[in-house]
Amino acid sequence: MDQIGNLLERPRLYCNIDGLGELGGSVMCLGFALLWWLLMRAPADSAWHQIAVFGFVGLVLLIHYGTKAIKTRMTYPRTGFVEYRKPLHTQAIAGALGALTTVGMAIVFRRHWDIPALASLAGLAFTGACGYHFARAVRWKWVTVGAMAAATFVIAFLPTDVLGALGGDSPVARPDQAKLSGTVLLSLTVYGTLLLISGGISLWLYLRHTQAPVQEIQ
Amino acid sequence: MNQQIRNIADLDRVIHEPGRLMIVALLFAVDRADFLYLQHETAMNKGTLSSHLSRLEEAGYIAVTKTYRGKVPQTLLCLNGTGRRAFEQYRRKLKEAL
Repeated sequence: MDQIGNLLERPRLYCNIDGLGELGGSVMCLGFALLWWLLMRAPADSAWHQIAVFGFVGLVLLIHYGTKAIKTRMTYPRTGFVEYRKPLHTQAIAGALGALTTVGMAIVFRRHWDIPALASLAGLAFTGACGYHFARAVRWKWVTVGAMAAATFVIAFLPTDVLGALGGDSPVARPDQAKLSGTVLLSLTVYGTLLLISGGISLWLYLRHTQAPVQEIQ
Repeated sequence: MNQQIRNIADLDRVIHEPGRLMIVALLFAVDRADFLYLQHETAMNKGTLSSHLSRLEEAGYIAVTKTYRGKVPQTLLCLNGTGRRAFEQYRRKLKEAL
């Protein structure tokens, strides 16, 4: 019965066989970090604060359609095409709702809670999600997940002035906001870099071990 | 006859064959997949996979759609409602039997 259970899990694990899931996550983390950094550095009256949201949405769309296009050209001709069932979308919506709820609660209770600590907790949740999605299929990816978790703890215990320095010369005035900005910026950069390395290795191994099929033109 | 033994005897023989069991389990977890994916996951050769797919199609468990991806022919396979019910029933009976 366990073997049947394993077979039922296979298609879900196939999702990241080429490392594109991690590379997409990496582009998202590094892109968000860049946009966040620009947002921190922009003057308070800059129009960038109004249009930044389009930058975030544009990045998400770019990752979604870019990954799809690469899979169509590279993955499907090599190891086959899979169309997933609806529950996967339901999970994504549930994840997005969970993230929105967390952000909403953070905004509502910002006066009472240690927001940078919440950002670290969100980082741990992201690390857990990466472990669930990427590391179950390939054991060595637990090293990446472990490094992400370790980085989260290190960032959480960094001195306030170090984190605050990252957002120090920004229009963000309050020290706790500067610390939050520093935590988010540093976390996104570290996660993005680790996922880039891990995804890059996966992609390299995938291309090395699979062969592009001969095109049968009819 | 012992109930457990009867459950084993009642197992769906179309699905019970290891090759077809692999195919049905893989298709159960997705909406649809192509021939190349099944070949990659099951490590069967084209002939063996084709014969198993034909058997499943005869039993009315899968729907086969022939299409093109650009200029390359593509065979899309989907486990239909009958196939899904048969696989769920097979798993239940196997669980009861073991």
